[in-house]
Amino acid sequence: MRPLIACALALSLFGSQNLSARPALRDYILTGAKPDHLFVIDAAARKVTSDIRVPDANGIVGLVVPSPDGKRAYVLVNRMESISGIDLDTGKQVFRANLSSGDEVVHSFFSVNITPDGRELIVHELPTKRGLNEYHVQEPRFAIFKTDAGLDAKPVRVFPAPRRVHLVLPKADGKSFYALGFQLFEYDLATGKKLGERGIRNWGRPGYSTPDMLAFWPVTEPLDVFVTPVYSTLGTGKDAIAKTSLMKLDLKSGALSYQDFEDTSAVIFSAVASPRNGEVFTVYTQLSKIDTNKGVLVDRVNLPHTFYTINIASDGHEVFVGGTMCDVAFYDPDTLKQRANLKLPGCPDQSISTLRVIRR
Amino acid sequence: MNGFKPTNKKAELLLQAADQGHVKEVSAMESVAGCVTTFDPGWEVDAFGGVASLCQPMEADLYGCADPCWWPAQVPDTMSTYPNWDAGNPSAQNDWRQLDAVFPKK
Repeated sequence: MRPLIACALALSLFGSQNLSARPALRDYILTGAKPDHLFVIDAAARKVTSDIRVPDANGIVGLVVPSPDGKRAYVLVNRMESISGIDLDTGKQVFRANLSSGDEVVHSFFSVNITPDGRELIVHELPTKRGLNEYHVQEPRFAIFKTDAGLDAKPVRVFPAPRRVHLVLPKADGKSFYALGFQLFEYDLATGKKLGERGIRNWGRPGYSTPDMLAFWPVTEPLDVFVTPVYSTLGTGKDAIAKTSLMKLDLKSGALSYQDFEDTSAVIFSAVASPRNGEVFTVYTQLSKIDTNKGVLVDRVNLPHTFYTINIASDGHEVFVGGTMCDVAFYDPDTLKQRANLKLPGCPDQSISTLRVIRR
Repeated sequence: MNGFKPTNKKAELLLQAADQGHVKEVSAMESVAGCVTTFDPGWEVDAFGGVASLCQPMEADLYGCADPCWWPAQVPDTMSTYPNWDAGNPSAQNDWRQLDAVFPKK
């Protein structure tokens, strides 16, 4: 009976397209919203196909990390003290790691990700011991959890980590992972040995100031490439020019590059690399398109309101913006005109949640 | 610490710690008991010295700053200090009238 039950639930969550024997793959958008929502959106249908209530979310569904097969989503909940793994077919919680215990409060500041084989979660932990009238800040650490550990998951490996890490990005070969903070660190997944350290502060670009970056949304689909804006100043004194660059990290090759595309004229929060024509799209209160082949800003349009996060259809034919308020909007990548706007049921704020795309 | 003048008891203790060689025990860290240590401007004025590049509308940014304790002086911190500030009010644009000012407990 269990396969039948699972199948029936899958139909309810992912729609009638699953009725065919080999249905065409479709893009689904995942996003979290307050206080405990995890929404699954059929991108083509502009429809919420499931509204999953995450147990004990405690007011926030922040970071969203889908499993590589698109069957689960791991979400950072409980004020960044817990990770909940949700089966997207049944809507049930199948994994739970409560990071805090006893008098030790542990937060993970957006820094959770999954290995390419889907078997382990990599978590950057910031522990603090709470005394009766004082805090004792503990050393940060990486904790590795098995994704099949169930509802009382404990780390199977723990090793030292740097401070000021706000993203963890697994390398595509599954052997190492990157931790993004003041620098881009690389660690061996099995041993925790630090393999390298490049950029960000020491990015080594002659004439440029120390760069600034805001990067909390680990969007790497569909190309296994992470891109994010970087701000700096070129030159000094009255001749100094504020520059906006794109940092690009290829998770397959490990290649790290920076490319200027404009004298800073807009605030940008997040970016996504398109599979088409070397284009990158960025978002904040404007949606921008950048041609990375030429290193130029191609187009920029005002949005109805600020959106924190951005993603793109797997074939690049549509750009999605979300986060912040209670809508997800769909844009034409050629004209940057809005095609549709989907308001989430009940209009809960997505706040800092991540807009992710899975293909099912 | 030269050039800093303590304005409260904690800051005075920090100066004493520096004098006694214990400053490492109180140095700023990325996350202190569940809060960022972000002191850069951004809530009141944007990177260009104006307001046009602040989040639009400000309600769009309210929970985005409260949830990660981003500007704890400007926005109540729901991560650690005021976890129930947003309870029952999932939409800042619709529920902003229910979001009260907060005051430290004595």
